[in-house]
Amino acid sequence: MMPSFEILFPKNLNDALNAISLYKEDVHIIAGGTDVIPGLNQESKRFKNTRLLIDINRVPEMKGITVDQEKISIGAAETFSEILLNEIVQKKLPLLWKSAGTIGSVQIRNRATLAGNFVNNAPCADSVPVLLAYNTKVEIESLNSKREILLNDFLSAPYKTKLGKDEMVTRINIPIPSSKLNGDFYKLGRRRAVAISRITLALLISLNHNMIDEIRIASGAVTPIGMRFFDLEKFAEGQKVEDQFLKELSKKLGEQIIQVAGLRWSSEYKLPVVQQIFYQLLKGIERRSL
Amino acid sequence: MSEEFSVVGKKIIREDGFDKVTGLAKFADDYKYEGMLHSVMLRIKEAHAEIKSIDFSAIEKNESLFSIITSADIPGAKKVGMIRNDQPIFCNEKVVTPGDVLAMLVGESEAELRLLLSKIKVDFTPLPVLTDPQKSLEKDSILIHPETGTNLIVHHPLRKGDIEKGFAESDEILEQTYTTQLIEHSYIEPEAVIAIPLGTSQGVKLIGSIQNPFTTRRFVANVLNLPLTKVRVQQAHLGGSFGGKDDTMCILSARAAVAAVKTNRPVKIRYTREESILESYKRHPYILNYKVGYSKNGKIKAMKIDILADGGAYVSMSPFVTWRSVVQATGPYEIANVHTDVRAVYTNNPYTGAMRGFGSPQPIFAQESLMDEIAARLEMAPDEIRRVNGLKIGSATATGQTLKDHEVNLVRVLDVACGSTDFKTKWEKNKKNKSVVVDYDSSSPILNDSQFIDPGDLIKKGIGLAVSFRGCSLGAEGIDAAAAYISIQNDGSVYLDCGLAENGQGLRTTYSIIASEVLGITSDKIIYLELDTGITPDSGPTVASRGTIMGGGAVKNTAEILRERLVTLIKAEYKLADEDVVSFSENLVFSRRKGLIAKFPEICKLASSRGINLAAVGWYKSPSVHWNEESGQGDAYFTYVYGCQVAEVSVNIATGEIYIDKITAVHDPGKVINRLGAEGQVYGGVTQGVGYGIFEEVTTDKGFIRELNFDTYTIPTSKDITEIKPIFIEGKESYGPWGAKSLGEPTLELGSAAISNAVYNAVGKRFFNLPLNLEEILLSKKLRPADTKRGSLL
Amino acid sequence: MELRFKINGNEVEVITEPYIRLIDLLRDNFDLTGTKEGCGIGECGACTVLMNGRAVNSCLVLAAQANDSEIVTIEGIAEGEVLSSLQKNFLVHGAVQCGFCTPGMVLSASELLDQKPNPTDEEIKDAIAGNLCRCTGYKQIIEAIKETAKELKSK
Repeated sequence: MMPSFEILFPKNLNDALNAISLYKEDVHIIAGGTDVIPGLNQESKRFKNTRLLIDINRVPEMKGITVDQEKISIGAAETFSEILLNEIVQKKLPLLWKSAGTIGSVQIRNRATLAGNFVNNAPCADSVPVLLAYNTKVEIESLNSKREILLNDFLSAPYKTKLGKDEMVTRINIPIPSSKLNGDFYKLGRRRAVAISRITLALLISLNHNMIDEIRIASGAVTPIGMRFFDLEKFAEGQKVEDQFLKELSKKLGEQIIQVAGLRWSSEYKLPVVQQIFYQLLKGIERRSL
Repeated sequence: MSEEFSVVGKKIIREDGFDKVTGLAKFADDYKYEGMLHSVMLRIKEAHAEIKSIDFSAIEKNESLFSIITSADIPGAKKVGMIRNDQPIFCNEKVVTPGDVLAMLVGESEAELRLLLSKIKVDFTPLPVLTDPQKSLEKDSILIHPETGTNLIVHHPLRKGDIEKGFAESDEILEQTYTTQLIEHSYIEPEAVIAIPLGTSQGVKLIGSIQNPFTTRRFVANVLNLPLTKVRVQQAHLGGSFGGKDDTMCILSARAAVAAVKTNRPVKIRYTREESILESYKRHPYILNYKVGYSKNGKIKAMKIDILADGGAYVSMSPFVTWRSVVQATGPYEIANVHTDVRAVYTNNPYTGAMRGFGSPQPIFAQESLMDEIAARLEMAPDEIRRVNGLKIGSATATGQTLKDHEVNLVRVLDVACGSTDFKTKWEKNKKNKSVVVDYDSSSPILNDSQFIDPGDLIKKGIGLAVSFRGCSLGAEGIDAAAAYISIQNDGSVYLDCGLAENGQGLRTTYSIIASEVLGITSDKIIYLELDTGITPDSGPTVASRGTIMGGGAVKNTAEILRERLVTLIKAEYKLADEDVVSFSENLVFSRRKGLIAKFPEICKLASSRGINLAAVGWYKSPSVHWNEESGQGDAYFTYVYGCQVAEVSVNIATGEIYIDKITAVHDPGKVINRLGAEGQVYGGVTQGVGYGIFEEVTTDKGFIRELNFDTYTIPTSKDITEIKPIFIEGKESYGPWGAKSLGEPTLELGSAAISNAVYNAVGKRFFNLPLNLEEILLSKKLRPADTKRGSLL
Repeated sequence: MELRFKINGNEVEVITEPYIRLIDLLRDNFDLTGTKEGCGIGECGACTVLMNGRAVNSCLVLAAQANDSEIVTIEGIAEGEVLSSLQKNFLVHGAVQCGFCTPGMVLSASELLDQKPNPTDEEIKDAIAGNLCRCTGYKQIIEAIKETAKELKSK
């Protein structure tokens, strides 16, 4: 049952920021509302005492997908469907495009936004590993400040971020990756569609004559929050792509996950499987670059 | 009757189709009445507790509250049940499972009422919780219903031949234990019902998502202490049931009726998905122990079966569900020596009852896995061992029933299934290419080099099959008869009604086809009346795949009664010779000798002017069956159907994912009446069977369900099964309309075993515990979180 | 708050509360009960309607968010007594059993055929993956959508 609350529809960014600076407490920003609305209806603790919703769908500064030399900038109110329809995203950010297609159903993708997928920092957010692998930056504004931070820094702990109480995520800026970066994304769920992810992995590699020039590894749903594995990346860079090494790397990913997450009820399944999936992704890229 | 049909067996559009594709069809929650009150349920977060007191004082004066409905408001039976009256309408003394309802609040606004629930003070003493059915019968076990003196709900023994002698004669003996899981019906429409008070002279009327209006009437009349005639039940369009809107709906109807009578206002109850999953009954989890002795040539000599079903907190249909299990537990095989015990027990888990399949999917998973395992040990192909042991005409079943009076199509469905899928070739090839799933060691979670899977080896193909026989209709469960009503108007249009309720599967369309065929009228001339217990004769419940065979039989008999009356009239009026034959087709009437005689409406007008009664109630009663409770011997069902399904799967050996490439479903429903409906039954049943086989599961923690909505309780989507191919073997049968028998349930019961056998073919590993989810495939175990928190945290 | 939008082609104005979901507004204020609630969390798709031409779960949209938009429910698909070819094909192919998921299914399929008049089997399955059906196993629904695409193409 829906609790009672108010809703605002600011027409520009200034109005939106004004609203959030006035209320701060007990306020939630919504775009698609696919998380907030059922959460409210189900009386979820996360939305307890909500007094106000600020709907950003009519804020032009938070709409649109723009492209320049360095980056693709996606408005915080852009839906997954809009991302899927964007040919530049499909071409330049293929992992994001692929992961967007695994989010919920058509109905969900028609409403849910990329920003909404990570602002609450749920561990199973499907797009997070991909965005991390793309070194995504988050543009954040308040009435009197504007900053841009790496998504990796933005996501601090499960269901916690670095977003201030008077701030909003306005845009998601993704540096256009070098064309040498080749990669893949894998989502494992309990069924073939509309599934909560059990494991997600994103991988980008550029090779130079069979040597790993650059590698980016990120996971979701196997660690308390989606994360990059920088140590592992450092370990891999400069190494030769050989079967033995790929196995080594996969095992190291497993070790890192244990370090971060410890052993949980699901580890007995997830740990071996994440190593296998990672190995398969590596082998796939190896095969495609031969 | 010639075998040329004009509508039977053709693709006919559903009679309720227009309303359903335009949104006009009214389901229970779509009904609104002037002055209607809403209701919310009071529950406590306990699986087992003694209620000391309920203090409503904090809310009694609240404006949102119109009335509090408790056990004290019930004029009649305070406890009800399908078979045993052990389920309270309101649990004012004790709760025995988390879905139990203590009291109900009614008022204008459901939202406002919900806010009041937390203000009610319930004083209770928690009791120890029993969740393991294997401990239910231990001497010192707590009792769920102490007044019964035991947690045993029912015990069905079956003794045939000499089991010890059978084992002694066997070359090999194999013993295995299988388990099957608790699952939810998952009708997409949650429960809803409205009770409308009609005053002391008329009683109460109910409209709801009710599977069986006559059962609901019986419950409500009992609870209100009214004669049956003062409880009228009308069925709204039913948004799926699959056996699941029976007990639950009876109880919800009773609560609404008590409230309507008390408040003298219409009262609606509608459930959210969470409440629906929390309170409604589910499919029984089984623990099945099989011991089988066989000769080197594959002939099974003896089978000893011990089955334990978790009945949960109430009896519900457990005695009947497990009775079907005891009849069919050996599978469709002729075995000289059989010793079976099936027991159902009480626990504090969610209660279990009827669900499409009804005690057959569980033993089929076990027995068909077992047959494949025996075949593998003897290096026989899966179809060979089934041919050696399969039931044929004249065979005696485990209950000692000699199969006769119908086509025993077991080997035929097997042959057709194998032929159509090229089974042998694929099976041999997959077997050669199989690679074993890696055995992981939980103590060392980091893989060793040899465990990494070569990408070329990642996906393994498998093919597997399962066969079954299934008794049609109720069998020795109870009286088996059905009635239909047809009234022909003087313009040739026709009212049709049958006492068996539409459950969404298309019964009414099937009945319209039958009436249309017999009377030679087009389906647009038939109006199907809403089932109303005030008008329609009681025909028992829509269960046990008895809709077509029993209800269809009744409709055909009724239409034939009226046709005979018309024929007599026509022969007299048109002075036809006695040996002339009158036929009806396309709204026209013909004489074999004279050709076209008249239009159907003209004949009806004539009949009316001659004072001939063109309304009739017809009846169809099943042949008698008999059963000996002590020995489990007898003619359990009057006829049987046979089925074989072949599953073709791809297994991802790195993740344990099973992709369902194709299910070929061969069934012998006798005669297909409603072709679109029959195909729909196969597609839908197979899909449910796949969900049961690979991922559906309601898990509980101390009796509390973890999966309370469709985010975590996953049923198959449009993307989970690539292809389903239905094949019907139609034959001549003596029972049912033109020999039409049963189809709805057989389609669901074979999938899990066929898939498990296919996975074995792909990876050489046997599975004993449903569902075959990711963890089961890789680790041969289920992993559970420590609590019932929502979400997919690690 | 006062809202204004088009429902099934008709301009409407309504006064409602900010916390009312679109599904409740449609069912309670406009008696458009063809829109069904099966789960309340956007998993089953029974409440699917078209909002500005796109399929959405009306249990996940606040009525206020639909302000100024164009809504099409199942009641707006047929033209009077004349069924759309999609609806006709649902009947001809036996794509309907209990009918509870049917309205949402038809609307999801409408969006698909609008966006991709020539869909592949995979695209059809993807378009209705958010509409759960427990009766039909989806096969006849997929056939009905395929056939409609064929018919629309030949027109």
